Amino acid sequence: MADALRTLINAVAVAAIPLVIVVFLVWGLVRRVKVYEVFVEGAKEGFTTAVRIIPYLVAMLVAIGVFRASGALDILTRILSPVTSLVGMPPETLTMALMRPLSGSGSLGVMTELMKAHGPDSLIGIMASTMYGSSETTFYVLAVYFGAVGIKDTRHAVPVGIIADVAGMLAAVWIVNLLFR
Amino acid sequence: MLNYIWISLIALGICAAAGSDIADEAGNRYRNSEAIPVTFTVTRRATPLRPAWEGTVDLSAEAFDAVYGAGAADSAIRQRATLVREGTGGGRLALAVDPSAPARWREMARGASVQDNLSASASGVAFTADSAAASMQIVFEPIRFVKLRAVTAAALDYAATAVTIAIGLIGVMALWLGLMSIAEKAGLLHVLTRALAPLTRRLFPDVPPDHPAMGAMIMNIAANMLGLSNAATPLGLKAMEELNRLNPKLGTATNAMVTFLAINTGGLILIPATAIAVRAAAGSANPGIIIGTSIIGAGCATVAGVAASRILERLPLYRREGSSRG
Repeated sequence: MADALRTLINAVAVAAIPLVIVVFLVWGLVRRVKVYEVFVEGAKEGFTTAVRIIPYLVAMLVAIGVFRASGALDILTRILSPVTSLVGMPPETLTMALMRPLSGSGSLGVMTELMKAHGPDSLIGIMASTMYGSSETTFYVLAVYFGAVGIKDTRHAVPVGIIADVAGMLAAVWIVNLLFR
Repeated sequence: MLNYIWISLIALGICAAAGSDIADEAGNRYRNSEAIPVTFTVTRRATPLRPAWEGTVDLSAEAFDAVYGAGAADSAIRQRATLVREGTGGGRLALAVDPSAPARWREMARGASVQDNLSASASGVAFTADSAAASMQIVFEPIRFVKLRAVTAAALDYAATAVTIAIGLIGVMALWLGLMSIAEKAGLLHVLTRALAPLTRRLFPDVPPDHPAMGAMIMNIAANMLGLSNAATPLGLKAMEELNRLNPKLGTATNAMVTFLAINTGGLILIPATAIAVRAAAGSANPGIIIGTSIIGAGCATVAGVAASRILERLPLYRREGSSRG
């Protein structure tokens, strides 16, 4: 049952883009839209949007790069791990929880290392991969999305992102401890 | 708030790097100017035209631990090196540090003047009678400021990465913006937004239900859930641009934008394909076991994020949308 569902969702994911393209184009033809002209007209904006996010992305990625390279994460992990152990989070996975909102490639690396060291089906392995699937790289998303429209005053976006991350990580710890401990 | 996060990432990073460099220096972590006894095993002799001896530097794990502290090496060390003899019993040794080297040497090689190459001065070089091996004492070039160097390199690297990412977006961005404008002209987005209006009206009360922003947001969320990140980012940026058209105060985020980002950073995804692939590669008996737990984790993150965005937007601290900043 679970396997069948997984195959179905996988199939949908593979077929989604071709399907969307076909439906859009056919619908456009039926409604007598000049598909080629309209496509090109819309696509023009792609360049400006991509270029517009560069300064925001540079600012964010440089800060994250400096933070990652400095080893500050290890220090932070050492300070925070006595607290997080209380909620059932092994110190090894705390690195994952701290890295996840900052860097996609970084958290992928942490997850791979944890699996190599503890095995993918260990509690730590399962928890790390659940954490990876439980959140997005919040700060990257914030930089890119707000950068595209030139938002500098982000209001409550950062606290909201952090609340979502903390909730996701705690939920991952809770469910994995509940099912796999 | 992003200001504070940004500055603390940088400040924490530089302070941590400087602090650990000072600690390394105080504890002489890299054993600067200490002599290490090694054996040099010759693989190719020097000739008058090519004065460098090629070979390997060999050191037992115990000898390594005796220099760098217990537990520094897991096994005996053998690294490729070249030796140029100078005077009687002296010479310069260049060590090519590869991934099999102990962690301490790899760390040192990253901070060396030539990347991944440790140079050392040799003394007391004594060859065996058949010139197949030599024993000697080596002193590595002084290694300092490893972390600060790494921080500098990372800052430059990531600045370049940012541009690579943005340039890489141009193509997919153009593709999806083109397709979206067809869908818009053909009235397809209209159909989509009307179908989902009961849900979206509650999530984004400030956005008119048939506004193009709704269509782009729905498409973005659908692409995210299917794990199509290549399509999700352009659609998300398109949604942000449409939302910005409704923004009474350019440069300041609107409530709808923050709610939309909360859904995005929650990262709800039906099949966490990357995590499953890594688990399978690591030899898991059941790589897909995390699908359920991930959906619960991401679901909680999304619900918490959306709830927080709807609550925080009412706080006086953040309530400056559309009005002059007070």
